[in-house]
Amino acid sequence: MQEHDEVTKINQIESLMKRPVLYNNIDGVGELGMGFMLLGFALLSWLQANSPRNAIWHRMDVFVVWVGLMLLGIHYGSKAIKEYITYPRTGFVAYRKLKSTRLSALVLGCATAVMGIAFAARSHWDIDGSHWGMTTPAALIGLVFVLFYMFHIARAVPWKWAVAAAMAICSVVIAMLPAGVVGEVGGSTSAVATLPERNSGAWLLFITIYGTIFLISGGISFVLYMRRTQPAAETAE
Amino acid sequence: MNLKTRRIAELDRVIHEPGRLMIVALLSAVEQADFLYLQHETEMNKGTLSSHLSRLEEAGYVEVVKTYRGKIPQTLLSLTAEGRQAFQQYRRRMKEAL
Repeated sequence: MQEHDEVTKINQIESLMKRPVLYNNIDGVGELGMGFMLLGFALLSWLQANSPRNAIWHRMDVFVVWVGLMLLGIHYGSKAIKEYITYPRTGFVAYRKLKSTRLSALVLGCATAVMGIAFAARSHWDIDGSHWGMTTPAALIGLVFVLFYMFHIARAVPWKWAVAAAMAICSVVIAMLPAGVVGEVGGSTSAVATLPERNSGAWLLFITIYGTIFLISGGISFVLYMRRTQPAAETAE
Repeated sequence: MNLKTRRIAELDRVIHEPGRLMIVALLSAVEQADFLYLQHETEMNKGTLSSHLSRLEEAGYVEVVKTYRGKIPQTLLSLTAEGRQAFQQYRRRMKEAL
């Protein structure tokens, strides 16, 4: 009986130690930030795909400014929500820089690099295979996203497993779309000057769908958080 | 007294108390957290939480810093190096005792 109690205690300790990590997205801000970032990239890609090649949207300096403004907006927006809404309601947490966090960042960075190399190699050698050539990496990156989502977010909130499932299904659907459809999404001029339309189409589809899913899921979390919590009374601690 | 019972008897009593164990486990996963966060996670009332924190502070396991976030008073809490070591040792001993 005592042994059973001690096993339960050990399990409770392990579960408690994971709670601060899961607290990071209690208000959905992590997902909202990700959603805005992906949709920001999607908007820029769409503008590039549907404008003449000499339009400003194809210029590298415009790209850098766009990304910079987007990242600044997301950074300070998230910070403001945490500062004025989350911390006064459910408390402040400063995280430790753990090995697993660095490893996650490394894996995600590698996955993005593989995607970039695949795009670059294909455009450099002008490989013109079936549409599987570019939609498959997009789908694989999508599935890596799903794994991260499951590990970092869905574990804390049961209904987020449905979000993870939706993302996984979308990844597979994008991979299976006919080349013509994907190419049409890519528009008249490619998002990246040297890429064929179908490649930018796969990219555009992927980031638009994922961005929308993140935004909806984060928005629902935020609304639920606001309903369930109230600012703490300012009394002595 | 068998070995398992002795191992359990040797556990750090300051940490072994369920309320304090919750606090130490939560703080072990972060750099710093405030009083409100601990209250939200542990669902303890202010008095109970304060009393546990005082006991942990006395033992030298928790550092308490009183500050302000804007005009609002904030109590920041973190595990000391000694506290981290004691918690790691506690977990190791618990696992050994099973």
